[in-house]
Amino acid sequence: MLFLNNRRAGKVIDGTVPWRVYLMVSMCSFGSLVAALTAGGARLSAERASGWARQLRVTPLPAWSYVSTKVMAIMLVVLPVVVLVEMVGAWFGGVGLAGSTWVELTLLLWVTSLPLAVLGAFIGFMVHTETAFPVVTALMFVLGYFGGLFDPVSSMPHPLQVAARLLPSFHQPALGLALLDGGGQPAVHWLVLGGYVLVLGLAIFFKHHLKEARGLA
Amino acid sequence: MVIGLLDGGIDGAAGPAFSFEGVTHRYGSHPALSEVDLEVGRGETVALLGANGAGKSTAIAIVLGLIRPTLGKVTVLGTSARRAVGEGRIGVMLQTGSGIGLPPGVRVDQTLRMIGKLYRNPAPSALTVERAGIAGLLGRQTNRLSGGQVQRVRFALAIAGNPELLFLDEPTSAMDVDSRRSFWDMIRELGREGRTTVVATHHLEEADRVADRVVVIDHGRVVADGSGAILKASVAAKRLRFGCPSPDARLLDSLAGVTEVGIHGGEVDLYSLDADATVRALVGKGVAFTNLEVTGAGLEEAFVALTASRPSPDEAGG
Repeated sequence: MLFLNNRRAGKVIDGTVPWRVYLMVSMCSFGSLVAALTAGGARLSAERASGWARQLRVTPLPAWSYVSTKVMAIMLVVLPVVVLVEMVGAWFGGVGLAGSTWVELTLLLWVTSLPLAVLGAFIGFMVHTETAFPVVTALMFVLGYFGGLFDPVSSMPHPLQVAARLLPSFHQPALGLALLDGGGQPAVHWLVLGGYVLVLGLAIFFKHHLKEARGLA
Repeated sequence: MVIGLLDGGIDGAAGPAFSFEGVTHRYGSHPALSEVDLEVGRGETVALLGANGAGKSTAIAIVLGLIRPTLGKVTVLGTSARRAVGEGRIGVMLQTGSGIGLPPGVRVDQTLRMIGKLYRNPAPSALTVERAGIAGLLGRQTNRLSGGQVQRVRFALAIAGNPELLFLDEPTSAMDVDSRRSFWDMIRELGREGRTTVVATHHLEEADRVADRVVVIDHGRVVADGSGAILKASVAAKRLRFGCPSPDARLLDSLAGVTEVGIHGGEVDLYSLDADATVRALVGKGVAFTNLEVTGAGLEEAFVALTASRPSPDEAGG
């Protein structure tokens, strides 16, 4: 994913955002997406396939504790990825920001990775091990492209622009760019991201209970 | 070394370890368990004996709260299955499925520590390590263990929490004969500490050696429940086999203790509930027998008799 960062030379302005800033934020977002899905999807699937997840269900470990520990673990993987992309953006891409802005941006991008982490966990719990990897790869590119991480959404045909607003991969960098743009932080981004966390979290919760009721353990 | 278990849980040491009342569980239309009534008292060591697919694992999954039964009531340690598990009073060794049942890429000692921390009153880890015989495996990654080693680690995880109620589902499947025997001794030792232990197995010898009580499960029903000795006696019949040139069927049938007579050419099979009485009667009535052989019904005969002759619920139209 880092090879895309080499295209930093252009100073074409996209809206009010310099291209290189857009690229850096998008790549941070994409990086966190990749990290969340692979750490979540791949690793969790492996734990389920080995039968370990089932063994944990007969220990006193509460289900929510297991899930939240996994999500936290994913978040820990995401943070260094965000920082790494920012470093590339600063040193090779010539993105210059105030020190405090860097910190704010990092925190913002990290916190807004939560829906991606929950998505990774969701895939890890729901999907069969054999299909986990292709699903993760497909999602990475679908969310990446249609969320506008490779090309700005504003350059897409209108229907795709509408579709993009449904994706967390659109709203996360949008918040990052809004921060750097100095404008306000539109609540809609937070709402969509929060919505994803809620819906996916509930889905994991219900799947766990459905499994019990149907006795598929 | 006795670890005090009889201090009991929230409900004290009264009440059964677990009980099933009218438990039925169906997967779709297939009945995995049918109207099972079973009560296991505290401190008992019970073998759940049955062929693969008989319903043992389903029954265990229900006691552990992994499955909610279609019908019936389950009580575990005076409370619900999920709560008993949540309170850390149960230790489990699940059947080896498609995976090894251990977290991939983690060391054995880390895994053991992780599990121990989940329990209120875990056993000292040195004791667990010794009992499971995994001292030499602690530094190994879980994916570098042989089948028998995986079993021992999983056993360690089952007893790490010092549980009141211990479930072992086919625990010796990957072990060699020697390991199996010492494992059976270990189970007995754990039982002597007041623990309730349930071993699900299809090994007749294992059930007989390990448990005081054998519950035979076939096609989702309990078909027999008693000590190994009682089971063998109940299906009874010692078989008396002897040669006899011209056997008188009516006379033989009337002999003391005889329940069945089989005549094949010059050979007679008598099934008797009291072999001694039958032998005395044979002599007393002057029956001319040669090469008398008296064989006891082992658990195998008992098992076969209990499970082979019954029609399955589907066949019986039930």
